Amino acid sequence: MLLTSCREDPEEKSKACCSKETAEKVPGERSGESLFHLDQEWTTQRGKTLRLEQFRDRIVVAAMIFTHCESACPRIVSDMKRIEASLSEEELRKVCFLLLSMDPERDSPARMNAFALEHGLGPDWTLMRSSASSTMEMANVLGVRVQKLEDGGFDHSNVIHILDGEGVIRYQHHGFSEDTEPLVLAVREFLDSE
Amino acid sequence: MSHRLAHLGLALILALAAHGQQRPGARQMVRVQGGAYLPLYSGKTGKTEVKAFEMDIFPVTNADFLRFVQDYPEWSRSRIKPLFADSNYLRHWQGDLAFDPAIARSPVVNISWFAAKKYCECQGKRLPETAEWEVAAKASQTQADAGSDPAYYQYVLNWLTKPSPAVLPRVGSTFRNYFGVYDLHGLVWEWTWDFNSALSTGESRGNASLDNTLFCGGGALGSGNMTNYASFMRFAMRSSMKAKYCVPNLGFRCVK
Repeated sequence: MLLTSCREDPEEKSKACCSKETAEKVPGERSGESLFHLDQEWTTQRGKTLRLEQFRDRIVVAAMIFTHCESACPRIVSDMKRIEASLSEEELRKVCFLLLSMDPERDSPARMNAFALEHGLGPDWTLMRSSASSTMEMANVLGVRVQKLEDGGFDHSNVIHILDGEGVIRYQHHGFSEDTEPLVLAVREFLDSE
Repeated sequence: MSHRLAHLGLALILALAAHGQQRPGARQMVRVQGGAYLPLYSGKTGKTEVKAFEMDIFPVTNADFLRFVQDYPEWSRSRIKPLFADSNYLRHWQGDLAFDPAIARSPVVNISWFAAKKYCECQGKRLPETAEWEVAAKASQTQADAGSDPAYYQYVLNWLTKPSPAVLPRVGSTFRNYFGVYDLHGLVWEWTWDFNSALSTGESRGNASLDNTLFCGGGALGSGNMTNYASFMRFAMRSSMKAKYCVPNLGFRCVK
């Protein structure tokens, strides 16, 4: 029941392949390392409120960014798009791409939506922001270091995270990727073990 | 058997709770006037203006934290999620609700950032920002900003070069500063809200600039004040920490 596609319209939802598997999973058997333990609400670029648990049974490729970022964040997004392009349509049904804002003050849903359009991010992409407190907590569970700068920007770690269907961080890539193949292989490995 | 243990445990809890309540001004806060804070590695441009705030006069003690764990058992040693603390969480306690009564009024340590944050939120408070903590910690007994007082600087440095004692002293055992805050130096290190803004890494030692593929470091232009070795030590400590780490000489206090 928790399971929806990353895509939010009902038609896409019914396309989701794994609702049966969800029903078979025992709720409560969550790993102590699961990010689903975070008591947080996030708002997406479509203005929808959700909790991370929404991504249960999905492989999530995630990064923390801010949309005013001019150098590093577009690189991270482009690395994630290369991962997306390497996956088959079949595989993509169980994969979500998640961009978490480290700049909740400025990254309004409208702003995030404009960023998604500008970067050609499809329906499997979710951009979202939360409160300052939840944002810091998220940075800390992901091990992302963030320093706010005077000009409103941030110094920050560049990391791509891969979460399994239980919300556990299974793979982290620090820095930019000349070669996204290891990340793609990691996604496939976790898809197979779902 | 288990009943008896439960009774013993309860007796210990009650004794500790009573002990805590006798403490004069246990939750007392004082006002810290604002000021400028120049973070390390910020160059001349990164000056932060800190607004006035209220700060706990003491670090949070074991007795304080016990009350919190009683109210929120999901933060007890046996129930805390590994997401929120490593295996050293409260390791100096004997169990979920038990520790040597001799340390009731010593600062709680072996505590993760997540637990410290939650504790403060449950008191209607928050963790201090690094800039706030540093502004409060600039105060000697007599001056709000003792940054240029060599004697004060030497005092702080002396503590940093001493190993932590096996049993931590009680809170309030070091000096009371200009604002009325105790123990900012001389007892334990303390978590700050944004400890993770310290972006120096092993990769950057060579030239104190950030590895640009690992970090987007447009603002890193070298240190603002490299002569202050004590603040450099704190910076290094913060940059080496992760939020789930629990270490035996790191505690916290709250502000609002």
